[in-house]
Amino acid sequence: MGYLEVEGVAKSFGPAKVLSDVSLALEEGEFVSLLGPSGCGKTTLLRIVAGFEEPDRGTVRLAGTEITAEPPAKRQMGMVFQAYSLFPNMTAEENIRFGLKVRRVDANEQAERAQELLELVGLMQHRGKYPHQLSGGQQQRVALARALAIRPLALLLDEPLSALDAKVRVQLREEIRRIQQETKVTTIFVTHDQEEALSISDRVVVMHQGQLSQVGTPAAIYGEPDNIFVARFVGAVAELPAEVVDGTEGIVELFGRKVRAARAQGMAAGTRIYFLLRPETVRVGPEGANGGLDGTIAGRTFFGALTSLRIELADGHGSVTTAMPSDQAGELTPGARVSVSWADDAPRILRRE
Amino acid sequence: MRKRRRSETGPKIGLVLIGLYFLVPLVSTGAFSFWEGGNRYGLRAYVALVHEQQLWQSLGLSLRLAIETILVGLVILVPAVFWMNLRVQRLRALFDFVSVLPFVVPPIALVAGLTALYRGPSWFVGTANYLVVPYVILALPYTYRALEVGMRALDLRTLTEAAQSVGAGWLSIMFRVIVPNLSTALIGAALLTIAIVMGEFTFANILLFNTFAVYINYVGQTAATEAAALTLLSFLITWLAMLGVLLTGRGQVQIGGAR
Repeated sequence: MGYLEVEGVAKSFGPAKVLSDVSLALEEGEFVSLLGPSGCGKTTLLRIVAGFEEPDRGTVRLAGTEITAEPPAKRQMGMVFQAYSLFPNMTAEENIRFGLKVRRVDANEQAERAQELLELVGLMQHRGKYPHQLSGGQQQRVALARALAIRPLALLLDEPLSALDAKVRVQLREEIRRIQQETKVTTIFVTHDQEEALSISDRVVVMHQGQLSQVGTPAAIYGEPDNIFVARFVGAVAELPAEVVDGTEGIVELFGRKVRAARAQGMAAGTRIYFLLRPETVRVGPEGANGGLDGTIAGRTFFGALTSLRIELADGHGSVTTAMPSDQAGELTPGARVSVSWADDAPRILRRE
Repeated sequence: MRKRRRSETGPKIGLVLIGLYFLVPLVSTGAFSFWEGGNRYGLRAYVALVHEQQLWQSLGLSLRLAIETILVGLVILVPAVFWMNLRVQRLRALFDFVSVLPFVVPPIALVAGLTALYRGPSWFVGTANYLVVPYVILALPYTYRALEVGMRALDLRTLTEAAQSVGAGWLSIMFRVIVPNLSTALIGAALLTIAIVMGEFTFANILLFNTFAVYINYVGQTAATEAAALTLLSFLITWLAMLGVLLTGRGQVQIGGAR
């Protein structure tokens, strides 16, 4: 049994079904991200856990107690919101003390706790500033400190980084992870940014159309997607249609040629599959290289350390993307004819309906 | 160059003409208030007014009614507008419609309706406190609009939920989070209400209460120069209220967003 459990939760807004039969359990101290595109139900699920939405069906349990009908103020959960949510009439320190004040905690204890948290989020010198005098990143750190001040049983983060610029996002997400590990608070983090989810979570829950598409460690989500939605949503992937020829040896037929795919072993001959290639597993060689698929470089994008190439396969067989260190991408310019290959165990195989 | 100068002169002349349109009657009223008959000018009207007990009574009554109207109006409207913005935004059109009704229904019809409608204890219906009922209605468009603008500038839902998530109940949310961030809107609503109540004549006159506006009218019928002095005084009160609205609006607390 988990520490924070959601069981059989369903929710509709009018005719729109937002969540259908969602169950999820978090261990104490775990950091779990809910990842999915807009409208997949991740924020609704978080708001049901927080108590801001009532599920049509299902239960929410925290530390062994059912809290489905408890109002948010009674749930002892800290929350950080996507929008800046600091109280404009209060300084950073007053914001942090607010939750303790309404709980009538002793003033000395309030001050001690606020100081502790200001140090934790590195804003001691800004304690007397009002929200409008703080940057976006600082405001979200104060909001985090305010959520932690009440020693929450769970911390809920609703896309807290999405309003920040790229550099601050990276800094703050690392800081959130550090603080979570220091405080060991059970955390649910909602995001639509896969990099964020993969980089700071113990487990990632990928959501799609109101259901959990896959739950697993970041490495499993990226490396072993359970279904085509997860494969497409998390990271870039080339999907090549293929068919298993020999399940014992792991041979598949790809565009009329037989290639080895270790992960096709054990599948029945004739099974229609997706042959999935992540960019980092694709090797680019000279045209006509042994065993490769020929193609033409159709696009090239420079990302600094890495350069991404889009290669159109010959005969209209679709395209493959690869990423390589920029210093190795020198002559691979659009129009160049190349061949793409991969290691036998690199392609992921998913059944094609 | 010449063309531009001409285009700047036109509006200036317009402004001066408009200024004169407003100022000439005021200056004339002011001059008349100092007239003591013949060629003599002095402060006699003002001195007489200062010694007139009825003035202070009517002024005190109007101020008291203004304060009561502000309190009753805000106690009703702050939670109502808060709730509408937070939970039932689909009722916004209805709120907007109701708020402008006092502009549509003439005061004379309102007062006739009120006298027919209200039957209550004599401490209420028999005293000037009764006027608070129509005054709240009269001030409704201004109070509602000020609160509505103030609340729309706040991200009410996020602030409310942030407060709830750390354990705040509705009273704490209202008095520690919402109201302090509405100070500009509340002051604006209060000052506009003062301006309205100080100048309201129809209700008080028909219901036979001697408010400031009724007293000005009475003095106007009996002592012309004193009436002119009083008119200036009432203008001054209204202007101070408006100046207050402008100044508090200027010093508005910056809400939301980042540095």
